[in-house]
Amino acid sequence: MAVASTAVGEGEPMKKLLENDYIVAAIRIVLGFVLIIASIDKIADPNAFAVSIGYYRIFNTTVILLIATILPWIELLCGMSLVFGVAVRGGSLLSFFMLVVFTAAVISGIIRGLDISCGCFTNDPKMDKIGWAKIAENVGLILLSIATYFSRTDRFSIDSRTTTSISSIPDERKDSLA
Amino acid sequence: MESEYKHRITIAGREALFIITAAVFLGFAYTAVMKKGFFLPAEGQSYGTVAPVFISYEEAVQLFNSGDALFVDARHEYDYSQGHVKGAINVPLADFKLQKSALSDVKRDQTIVTYCDGAECNSSIELAKLLSAAGFTKVKMFFGGWNEWQSHQQPSEKVNP
Repeated sequence: MAVASTAVGEGEPMKKLLENDYIVAAIRIVLGFVLIIASIDKIADPNAFAVSIGYYRIFNTTVILLIATILPWIELLCGMSLVFGVAVRGGSLLSFFMLVVFTAAVISGIIRGLDISCGCFTNDPKMDKIGWAKIAENVGLILLSIATYFSRTDRFSIDSRTTTSISSIPDERKDSLA
Repeated sequence: MESEYKHRITIAGREALFIITAAVFLGFAYTAVMKKGFFLPAEGQSYGTVAPVFISYEEAVQLFNSGDALFVDARHEYDYSQGHVKGAINVPLADFKLQKSALSDVKRDQTIVTYCDGAECNSSIELAKLLSAAGFTKVKMFFGGWNEWQSHQQPSEKVNP
């Protein structure tokens, strides 16, 4: 009996969670704040951020400078998008991809035995070393991005007042959108 | 259900593209105005590797006395066994492989001083380049090498068979 009822109810708690206005808004805003905080040091000093990227020994100077120029702004805009609830789908999709790439870089650094600073929140080479704790942190943030992307409500967001919003489409019309 | 996902990814893709475009614009505009990043007027900016630097005999002695530096002898095993800087480890350039060398467990921000015989040899320079490419950030080359060290009768030791 118990087994059968679990099978029937599978996905239900997750669906409930993604439909809860308060939880969805809290997840979105926390993720957004983390991204904004992470971007501040990098925007303030792109060259110090470039040094941090250099520690990973993956890219050459031109690519590193290109990343140091653009990436912090993607983080900032994604963070603002999530905090204010504008373009939430795009913001969460981008933050998902960014976090996956960051995590891959950290894993590759650990495998190669690099004893380096992450460059995630600060450009101080002595702080925030890469390690498994950093990966756990990133996996947590990736889960928040996924939850935000698949959230089924956008209450407390600016998106909810625009026509691009997913929840602005009445449920009965969603199926006819092919 | 299918169409809802499709609709969502279309919107997300469009929004993501907009954010990236805005970030590219803002990033370049900001660094251009603030003279940062690409626009920082500095010659020879390099972020890939930290190049090794030459140090003089006096600096080598200073580093030796501070006890913070790891001396690495790049000469052949035989030369090393006949006498080397006290406490130095032997990493012959000839068969250098980071994974198998004594350096594989050394922290990458450890100060390392490489040396060989002296002015007539290059192995300390070659080894220093390899170490810097392997991720070590504080690699120094003591160009005077073993000859200069020995002539000043600085602390040394031998490997006893």
